[in-house]
Amino acid sequence: MKKSLLLSAAIALASTAATAETLRIPHELGFGGSESMDPISPQRFYEAIQNVYSRLVRQGEDGRPSPDLALEWSATPDAKEWTFKLRPDVTFHNGNAFTAEDVAFSLMRTQSETIDSPTKGVMGIIDHVEAVDPLTVKVVLKDSHADFPLLTMDYRIKMLDAETCGGDLDALCESGNGTGPFELTGLDALGTTTMKRFENYYGSKAGVENLELIAIADQDARVAALQAGQIDLVYSVSAEQVPLFANNPDFTVQSVPSGRWVGLVMNTQTEPFIDPRVRKAIRMSADRDALGKLVYGKGGFIVSCDHPVWTGDQYRKEIDCSRDVDGARALLAEAGYADGLKVELFVSDISEGAVKMAEVLQNQAKDAGIEIELVPAPADGYWGDVWMKEAFFATGWSQRPADQILNEAYRSGAAWNETAWNSADFDAKLDAARSELDFGKRKELYGELQKELWETGGSFIPVHLNITRVLSSKIGGLPPVEGFSIRYEDVTKNGSGS
Amino acid sequence: MPSLILRRFGFAAFTIGFVSIVMFAAVEALPGNVCTSFLQRFAQGPRLERCIEQQGLERPALVRYGDWVAGAVQGDFGYSLKKRKPINELIRERFRNTALLGGLAALLAIPFAIFFGIAAGVRRDRPLDLSLSGAAMLAMTIPEFVTATALIYVFAIVLQWFPAVTIVSPGAGFMQMLPNIVLPVLVLSAVLVAHIMRMMRASVIDVMASDYVHMARLKGVPERQIIWKHVVPNAMIPALNVIALTIAWLLAGVVVVEKVFNYPGLGTLMIQAIFDRDLPLVQAIALIFSVIYVGVNLAADLAALALDPRLRRKGH
Repeated sequence: MKKSLLLSAAIALASTAATAETLRIPHELGFGGSESMDPISPQRFYEAIQNVYSRLVRQGEDGRPSPDLALEWSATPDAKEWTFKLRPDVTFHNGNAFTAEDVAFSLMRTQSETIDSPTKGVMGIIDHVEAVDPLTVKVVLKDSHADFPLLTMDYRIKMLDAETCGGDLDALCESGNGTGPFELTGLDALGTTTMKRFENYYGSKAGVENLELIAIADQDARVAALQAGQIDLVYSVSAEQVPLFANNPDFTVQSVPSGRWVGLVMNTQTEPFIDPRVRKAIRMSADRDALGKLVYGKGGFIVSCDHPVWTGDQYRKEIDCSRDVDGARALLAEAGYADGLKVELFVSDISEGAVKMAEVLQNQAKDAGIEIELVPAPADGYWGDVWMKEAFFATGWSQRPADQILNEAYRSGAAWNETAWNSADFDAKLDAARSELDFGKRKELYGELQKELWETGGSFIPVHLNITRVLSSKIGGLPPVEGFSIRYEDVTKNGSGS
Repeated sequence: MPSLILRRFGFAAFTIGFVSIVMFAAVEALPGNVCTSFLQRFAQGPRLERCIEQQGLERPALVRYGDWVAGAVQGDFGYSLKKRKPINELIRERFRNTALLGGLAALLAIPFAIFFGIAAGVRRDRPLDLSLSGAAMLAMTIPEFVTATALIYVFAIVLQWFPAVTIVSPGAGFMQMLPNIVLPVLVLSAVLVAHIMRMMRASVIDVMASDYVHMARLKGVPERQIIWKHVVPNAMIPALNVIALTIAWLLAGVVVVEKVFNYPGLGTLMIQAIFDRDLPLVQAIALIFSVIYVGVNLAADLAALALDPRLRRKGH
């Protein structure tokens, strides 16, 4: 086995040439070993499915959909019927041809009640899928959605081989048989999962011959493994760990913007936050740049203005939200709190920096006459007992595209509408944006929604977080893009041995 | 005598039972329950109800405790929601790995410690004693995660002789584990040797000053014979307890060392379980640790009984 070879090689101080063409990346065992090769399983093995399967469309450099298995797509004027033209001569790892039937199968199985996939909600918009001919597929939606290709860009909406999966829409399909740049040779989620270059890949062939996904659950252990040359990269290191690699010629440090955010939430239906002036005053009292530096370190964040759309998103709206203490005081006086305002903020160690963020805001808000009393809550049961129960509390969200996060967190009645945001006008604009086929107009609509959240919303989202990634300097072809956009087939490794 | 042993066993069983109650109560006292900790943000509506029903959480705490204990006695610790596996299956291999690590460390450390302890005690205050005792103090005071980090830096990062973290598949054979296990065993042994050696030295010094050793000297018994026949067996008795305590300490040490080296043992599993709020798994591992702890102490008690006839008399 290669692994034991590697270990004994390390002992004997022998040449490590055997690993020269093998890219070794860690995986964090997020599901503790129950990782599944089915991309829509709740336990999807992200690092593996990313490399063995492909999507219809993928992220382009501008964040917009770019061709992958689908070469072009078009919609009817009501944005309800989408036609995708598929790439010809694509084969799965087992030699089967990739056809429209596979697309229909892969899209429809997201709706299975039995699988109960996390993608079910978002893809529930699909009514049915028709294979027009082997290379043309028509997706009919229940409602208009001008950005439907964006939904198929989700990292879990991968194309499977209907035949390998037995055509059963309700069964998990864990074969690993995909059209991606690497084919699976050994699955071992708790140990080392191995893949080799797929020679018939439709794109440019992978730059390394082998890929190994190595299970290391612990962050410090991943860092030690990278230092010792056991792995080639760590997706994300903490601010404290950066100095271990900075100015070291053996490593490259990348700062990568991401869509992850940690925020403080005001319930817009509860006193005193029911008054939009109070919410705005609290937001205006914050110096976001100073807050970001204190909580996440220099270079660890990008300032945002209380809307959840991140900088890598094509619909991001840049707003000026610099600190305005006098403005905040004036708003408070208008709202009847001329003598100051006292509020309770529930915080817990649930997301990185949540507690620190609350402490910094507490200090900054003082200048505007706002006294924030921090109420520490236990992390156990936080999401059931505090989140969406108290009037003012901490939250954290992972990266989502603009349309998804705006619908999930701000549409009236949505399950995770944590600010209790209830605006018919806002919902109408969300719908309008979805059915607007013109990109420029759509962007304007999403921009208005973001602006509205800054003016009157209930979220305090001071920054989006950057990820600090560290690579061995032997690695090439890996630009500082967020995880979902990494193309491992482009990655090369200079395997001159160590 | 048999009643004495039975009493010790009874007391051990009582301790474990008590620990299980405390642990169950502690988890009960946490806000939320198994389902809310597993589902996190999804803990609402029908999903939560379904989970509560599947886990039988609507039953009273006493019934659930009874079930849990009954299962544990038969070696069935239940099911980990987070890892979607029976806990037994998760624990079996991890237990073997931890036993391998702890066992090797103890096997390596105890003979060395006893030997060094005797050597230092016999040559009290001479250069050999001073250097051994000094080294032991150092090993005791430096926390194991510091030792571990230092060893990783020197042997894994600079020299690259050993891997920095353990990367093996479950079911890996001993030969595959071996290179991974060297540094963790060294770290654990260092502390073990230090503790046991200090105790052994002190107890050798005590015995050397005793009347019967004087007597033997006056009778002209050769020094070597005095040490091996009279001093060492008597000095072993207090040292036994320390060995037991130290092995029990191993359990805590193993958690830290396993984490630093990413070693696939019970310790890392426990830390993961705590971070995942995988409560049934935390309970199971805590119970196993307490059984080991009590078991080791029981073994030390019984060994002391065997070594020292005085303890076997009534009233002790």
